[in-house]
Order: sequence, then structure tokens, then C-alpha cells
Amino acid sequence: MLYSEIVIAGCGNPLFADDGFGPAVIEEMQNLQLPDNVSITDAGLGGPHFIFTLLDPEVTKKLIIVDIADFGAEPGSITKLRVEDLPPGAYRDAHSWDLTEPLQRIKDQIEVTIIGVQPARVTAPEFELGLSDELQRAIPKTIRVILETIGVENEFSREYLRKEERQRSSTAETCGCPETR
Amino acid sequence: MVLKVNDQGIIETGNWCSITPVRGVEKLAVGKTPEQVPKIASRVCGICPIAHNLAATEAMEASIKCEIPKDALMLRHILQLANRCHSIALHDILILPDLYLPGTETKINPFTAEEPVRTVAKRIQRLREISQTIGQIAAGDCIHPRNTRVGGMYRNVSEQAKTKMYDLAKEALPLAKAQMDLMIAILRNYQAREHVDVGGMKVALPKTLGYHNQGYLATHAFYGASSLDECPSWDIRRFKEVRPWDWYMGEMEVSLEEPRYPIGGTTKMGTKVNPQMEACTGIPMYDGQPVEVGPRARLAVYKGYDEKGTVGQNIAREMEYTDCFYEMIDCLDELNPAGKVVADYIPDGDGSLGWASNEAPRGTDVHITRVKDWKVQYFSMLVPTTWNFATCSAALQGAPWQLAEVIMRGYDPCVSCATHMIVVDEDNKVIAQKLIQ
Repeated sequence: MLYSEIVIAGCGNPLFADDGFGPAVIEEMQNLQLPDNVSITDAGLGGPHFIFTLLDPEVTKKLIIVDIADFGAEPGSITKLRVEDLPPGAYRDAHSWDLTEPLQRIKDQIEVTIIGVQPARVTAPEFELGLSDELQRAIPKTIRVILETIGVENEFSREYLRKEERQRSSTAETCGCPETR
Repeated sequence: MVLKVNDQGIIETGNWCSITPVRGVEKLAVGKTPEQVPKIASRVCGICPIAHNLAATEAMEASIKCEIPKDALMLRHILQLANRCHSIALHDILILPDLYLPGTETKINPFTAEEPVRTVAKRIQRLREISQTIGQIAAGDCIHPRNTRVGGMYRNVSEQAKTKMYDLAKEALPLAKAQMDLMIAILRNYQAREHVDVGGMKVALPKTLGYHNQGYLATHAFYGASSLDECPSWDIRRFKEVRPWDWYMGEMEVSLEEPRYPIGGTTKMGTKVNPQMEACTGIPMYDGQPVEVGPRARLAVYKGYDEKGTVGQNIAREMEYTDCFYEMIDCLDELNPAGKVVADYIPDGDGSLGWASNEAPRGTDVHITRVKDWKVQYFSMLVPTTWNFATCSAALQGAPWQLAEVIMRGYDPCVSCATHMIVVDEDNKVIAQKLIQ
């Protein structure tokens, strides 16, 4: 199956500074050893088209969405939102699926949790690469919240996250990539 | 979309343009490494990351003159075909609400739990799932591919993974054939109608719905091309871009309003519109004219397809379903899991101009770049819907205004769009709203 029992989707656009938080969390989680029933995906802007409308409730029981959300807190603060906290969207055509409309449709069959992190700066429509210091520092904590939410907390992950928290640099770019030549 | 219509409601001038602000991806790319730019390019759109990733990666390779191993190319082909098959299935959901269940006056709701639509919806979902799974195996991730890199692919697939993709493609083939046959039957049924219903309005259906006399542009029957090719199928000297204000109408005031038009009626009377100034994209031309790109263009250029109009365009897209899976199976036959997938030598680039096109689901996606000393000096993206804006505007002429969106949907447009997340309190009062794209 394409998606497993537990699906973790990082949503947002790294071209708009802190909006890239969801994909950055997924990139970090790729270093973790996760159970086979957990799949993690960098959804980018394609969550509605590629994930939320493709989940099979017979297989997927839990969906965790990681995204930024403005709830008036200090940058880097984490909150959990339910689908009910989001307004119902409207289907006009297959390209106008917004974030919430497919979630409203699946929420009764799949447990949906949105982990929202308060951004410091979102530059849309202007492009800017890189997370703010506050959101860089929030990555390990967010991963811990995700692992607690899905009931996975092994020693390897704890050690890794502790190390990450200590070493986290504030200057890394989320669209950066290792030198591969 | 701004339409000038005559007293009979027939479109005299169509103005379909993007008003998404120009965000300067080209500027952002300058100074970055050739590895970073494809990742940046793939983030400009939520639906087409794969096409942009492949076109940008291959533009970099074209500029630095790096030829990639055959098995890497096969993996890219498989990824691209899988992406297209998913997109065709998504497009079926997009257009089904315009169409009728043959023999009835009932328009199709693809989300209904009732038969016979439910079976069709399940088939569409399975085709999407298969396509995405194949893409995930070939590219490490089915949305933002992790396996592609300048110089080839990071890793080849295992023999088991190849077999899995093969099994999935073989499962999909009869489903795609059935879906294609059904959609063509439904489209032909629509085409034969005298009238269609739009928001309770009975609208005469012209036999020339969506016809235009612009040309077609395609660079490959399936995949794409680049300036490294011996005989490139795209010529940068035949391309030029003109300003939108030379093409669209100037300031007008809305003088026709129809509240019955779904959903929520048309724009209110008295609203000022100015497509000439609001359009945010240039008008690309090939041989001095806007051209159509996409499935019909591919079939017209490479397979002699000649059906015009919106129905012909949608049928061409359906005909690509089975072609894609046959081609995918051919690529899998060619793929050697033990073969190398990274070029032996990846040059730093000498600043030469290189371009690559990718035949994205919506049409020719051309990326142009200059790389010198492993830094991008220049980067430009000519995305499919940019090509189609002006062509579709011409295709709107002569149609009843109520069917303008039906014509537009035939192009399967991908106009960058924004989503708002709104956080509400217990009294449903909005406490925070933020653009999250």
C-alpha cells in the first residue's frame, strides 16, 4: 500500500521562510528509525491532491499533519488542532481542493491531528529560503510531540533528538542539500 | 477570466490570465548550486513538482553538458509516466461534474456513493494509488522526488522493486483501458447533446466548442528533450515572450451578472476589471504565435491526432492513459537494476546556455539555465499553463459564456494558488488567519 497505518505529512512551502517548517520536520525525521506501520511524507503544497484524497481508511487509521499555524503565541510554540478547528472548505474543482475540505471528509474514519507551530515570519508572496532561528529550534520538540502522539518513543529517537537539540544550527537552509559530486 | 460577450451571450473576446503575483524564482536561483535549483523549482507548484524537478535537473545537465546513464534515464521516464497517469486520473475527477451519465439528464458527481459512479471512482482511486506507488519506488518519494540528482539518480532500484513496479503497471493497464473507454463514451455522449445545463440555465452546445486555430507544441511523445540532443525538438530561437498588456483587454466594468452560475454566481455588476494590467505572466510565443501544449499537442505532433475542440482535447488526454502504461512497461523492460545511475564525470559548467523540456501532464515545461563553476548564473521556467493562457483565451471565442470554464478545464490548468488556514475559537470567531500556501 502507498500509505501505512500511521501517516505523517509535513505541509508547507520552503520558499516562504517558516512556511517550510513541515517539510523540514520530515527531512529531520528521515534520520529516525520508525516502525514499519509509520510513513512520513514531505507533502509540500500537494497534501490535498496526493495524500488526503488518497488515504484508504481500511489501512490508514491515523494522520498527523505538521504545518505552521498562527494562533497568536510566541514563535516556535506548538499546538495541536483538530479538523473541527478548521473551517469547512468548498469543492469547486480538483485543483481548488484546499487543505481542509478533504480533511473534513475523512475525519470520521481517520483520526486526524494537526500539529501547528507558530511561525516567526512567512514571506509569501516573496520568496525567502531558510527557517527562522525559533523554528529551527522547534524541530526536535515538534518531532517529540509527533512521536508521543503516535505512541512511538524509543531510546534511539530520544538520543538522536537530544543530540540534535544541542547541535542545531540556526543558519541551515531548508532547501539546501548535501554536496553530491 | 474576463469575457466580452455579445447580446446572445456568445464570447467575442476571452481573457484568461494568471493574477498570482510574480514571485521571482528565477532571481532566487541565481548563485545557488545546480543541486539546489531543481529543489527550489519543484516548490513553485503543489501539483507539478515532478515535472519541474526533472526539467530543472535536466536543464542543469544540459548547461554543464553531462550525459546521464541509460538506467537513470529509465528511472526518470518511469517516474514521469507515473506522475502523468496520476494526473490523468485526477483530471477525470475535475471534468466529470461537467458531464452526464449517458442516457440520462443527470450530471456526474464523482463523490457519490451510488452506482455506477462508485465503481468508476474506485477505479480512479486505484489508478492514482498505483501511479503514486510506482513513482515512490522509482524516485524515493512520490511528491517531491528524493532520488533525482544532477548527473543521474542517487540510487538504482532493486530487482524486487523493479518486479513490484512491473506488477503494478500490469495491474493498471486494463484499469486504464476501461477508464479511457468509459471517459471517451461519456465525452462523446456530451458532444452529441444539443443543450447542456449550467446552474439551471439551458445552454446550446456548439459543435465547435473550444476550437482555435493556434498551432501545437510538443517536444516528445512521452518524455522531453534537451539542448544536448542531436536534433533538439525545441528551438529557443523560435521562442519569444511578449508583454501581457499587448495581449489582453484594458480596463472594463462588469455589466453582466448571473447569480445562478455555480458556485455563488459570477462577479458582481460594476466591478472594475483590468486583465491587461492584472495579468502576471508574459505571453510565450513559438513562431510568433501562442501555441497549445499538452496531451492533444503531443498526439497531434507525434501521432497525427487531428480532433479539435474541448472534447477532442479531453479525449486525447484519455488516450494517453494506456500509452503511458505501455511505455512504462517498455522502460521497465529496459531497466537494469544492476546498472550504474550516476555519470562518471559531472562537469562544473562553463556558462553555456542549456535548456530541457519535460512533457508534463499539462504540456511542455521548458527550463533554461546557465551554470558556471557549479553556480547557477541564469534560470528561467516556461511552465505549461503559461503557454496555454493565450491559446485558451482564443479558444473561448464563439462559445456561450456559461461554458467558458468547461473549455478552460480541458487545458487542465495549473495556476499557482494559495490556501488560507483559519483558526477559530469555540464561538466560531476567527482568531487567526494566515496564508500558508
